[in-house]
Amino acid sequence: MRAPASTKPDKRSSSLARTAGNFDRLYRDHVDLIYRFANRLCGETEAAKDLVQETFLNAYRGFDKFRGEAQVSTWLYAIASRACMRMRRKRKGAPERELSLDEFVPTSEGEFRLQIPVEGLSPEEALENKELRQALDLAINKLPGKYKMVLVLRDMEGVSAKEVGTIMGLNERAVKSRLHRARLFVRRELSAKGLTHNGDSLG
Amino acid sequence: MAKRTGSTEKHSRGVRPHRHEPGRCLNILRTLSAYIDDELSQDICRQIRKHIGACPHCEEFVASLRQTVSLCRHRPAPILSSADRLRMREEILCSARMR
Repeated sequence: MRAPASTKPDKRSSSLARTAGNFDRLYRDHVDLIYRFANRLCGETEAAKDLVQETFLNAYRGFDKFRGEAQVSTWLYAIASRACMRMRRKRKGAPERELSLDEFVPTSEGEFRLQIPVEGLSPEEALENKELRQALDLAINKLPGKYKMVLVLRDMEGVSAKEVGTIMGLNERAVKSRLHRARLFVRRELSAKGLTHNGDSLG
Repeated sequence: MAKRTGSTEKHSRGVRPHRHEPGRCLNILRTLSAYIDDELSQDICRQIRKHIGACPHCEEFVASLRQTVSLCRHRPAPILSSADRLRMREEILCSARMR
């Protein structure tokens, strides 16, 4: 660990040392969780690392504001979610698309089922198929950001709807409505795929 | 996934006549996440099960939505290497002290 900018034992450096100790614990206990979340949100490794750094930097600065009312993981998820939204806004200015339920009503016979090899397989076995993993990732990455955030938190991170509401500043009803549309979106993408059993290499 | 769909497979190959009511199907579609998450009252669940039992399309749709959620839940995520974990910690602390 590098020495703080000021080495005098003044008020600021002792506060920094205290914060650094807290930070080490926070980082050690939660970096894997936040990296996994960031990877799922960003869909690629380098952007995920940037998001992790931004999240813990903001957490370091915001220690004083954390009152312990929420779980630490909820607090970190919320910081990461806001940082992700800021990073996304910087990249593209277009407003996010709203998903309507009507667009998910199947219009032809083949659209009711998933056109991917899952029958008779456990989800773990099905996901050994590389093509299927890519199709799933692609579908999730195509989701408009606010829907993707809810799906990742609820269905991939396993956070409760109430907690997702706390993280995103939404009521539970709005969380569930977004989650439903996000699931229908991913389902529709997978029903249009037509994958075979061939892409079975791990990676 | 086999476990989830096993009980429905024998019905879902168009054996039964399909009494398709688009309005009813759309209402069912609105509730399906709450249905598969067990958030609905027993009475509403019973109505949905009754509809699904008579509508192969909705039955397939529910199965495919369950499969989608199950794939999301089981999608593994990459793990951070020890070297990256250490390097990032250093960079975060360095940035925190500079600003």
